[in-house]
Amino acid sequence: MKEFIVAENEDLQSVSQQILEAKKHTLFLLRGDLGAGKTTLSKSLIACLGSTDNVTSPTFSIINEYTGSEHKMYHIDLYRLNTIEEALDIGIEDYLHSGNNCFIEWPDLIKPILPNEHHNLEIHILDDNKRKIIFE
Amino acid sequence: MKTNILLAIESSCDDTSAAIIIDGVVKSNITATQDVHKAYGGVIPEAASRNHEINIIPVVSKAIKEAGISKNDIQAIGVTRGPGLLGSLIVGLSFAKGFALANNIPLIEVHHMKAHILAHFAEKPYPPFPFLCLTVSGGHTQIVKIDDYHDMEILGQTIDDAAGEAFDKSGKMMGLDYPAGPIIDKLAQKGKPIYQFGIPKIANLDFSFSGLKTSIRYFLRDHLKEDPKFIEKEKENICCSIQTSIVNILMAKIKKAADETGISHIAIAGGVSANSFLRSELKRYGTEYGWNTYIPKFEYCTDNAAMIGISAYYKLLAKDFSNQEITPAARLEF
Repeated sequence: MKEFIVAENEDLQSVSQQILEAKKHTLFLLRGDLGAGKTTLSKSLIACLGSTDNVTSPTFSIINEYTGSEHKMYHIDLYRLNTIEEALDIGIEDYLHSGNNCFIEWPDLIKPILPNEHHNLEIHILDDNKRKIIFE
Repeated sequence: MKTNILLAIESSCDDTSAAIIIDGVVKSNITATQDVHKAYGGVIPEAASRNHEINIIPVVSKAIKEAGISKNDIQAIGVTRGPGLLGSLIVGLSFAKGFALANNIPLIEVHHMKAHILAHFAEKPYPPFPFLCLTVSGGHTQIVKIDDYHDMEILGQTIDDAAGEAFDKSGKMMGLDYPAGPIIDKLAQKGKPIYQFGIPKIANLDFSFSGLKTSIRYFLRDHLKEDPKFIEKEKENICCSIQTSIVNILMAKIKKAADETGISHIAIAGGVSANSFLRSELKRYGTEYGWNTYIPKFEYCTDNAAMIGISAYYKLLAKDFSNQEITPAARLEF
């Protein structure tokens, strides 16, 4: 487990790099309150993986796809879904087992079908502009 | 002149929709979830059923029937190729390919975001070229310059959240039901914009709403510390303040785009164009700065097949057809 304190956007880039250097799995589960910065962290991780795309919130679209320097990756948000069946209907398992990196916001809806091999990223609001990121 | 009868299919996200367009005029426009919702007293279940496979045949049949034509009269089929959710797009596109093959008619792929703009050509008055369009919905916020039906350029877009999402998530933090946009609109009408939130500092024509969301979060947290009943007591003023902030951000950028391009025909599109304050502000700016403004009917603002059909109609006139090899695209170049 690693803990990072982020106060500036510049810190975020180096935190993303450290997270990706320590990466063992392709699934990243992001947890934190609304406005904590889950999308901001995903944006930074996706950029670190070599994507030059404009990374926007996947809340409405549910799954956004990006191309990094080597592979595709998926930015997923289950916020708008109510049941695990809805997630299965959109083919969530295909994404989870694609072998590509997946950054998943609000992942608890699909807890029963999540592979054990994943990383957790928890974001806590410390201060108005300060965040604690816990990485396992 | 030969009559053009088009069937159009849209299934990029939550709704399955089909429309019949005859010579550029919408003859029917059927959306599955809306009809289903009516049975539930008008309550729109979030992320409505993803059962595009179940909906598509009944929706197409209803569109054909309501237009008073028969299946064999259809001369081309237009379909959303992207952007959207792959699992949803694939249903509409597979159906359209099959239908085109079976009836030996042309297949026409349509870009969902361009179609939102071309929805302005569903009913007169049509905006003249060039015009600017602010497309605002739950998933998108962009300003586009339109030189022609087939020639458009994105001048600015959101770098994080969409405007519709800013409404919905602010509402969620206040404990309002999701989607909160229409509820905020209603409550705001009884309130005053007495609270200020952080304004994004972005120099170009791009948008950012993520900072506003966080700023509202801190605002609510700080006030709730002093008075646990703050939201309850101040609901209307908070809603009015949130709505004013979001609409001000949108209007400031469209004004900047109008100034920079010298274009004075300004349109809005997408689900958020139903917001009453955005509509009244657009009209007010229009009067103040001498713009001609265009707002489509609400049924053409949300995701619908009529806009796909209108787009396909102009591609048909240009003989811009697609082949059977096209695949759905979650991301699609504008």
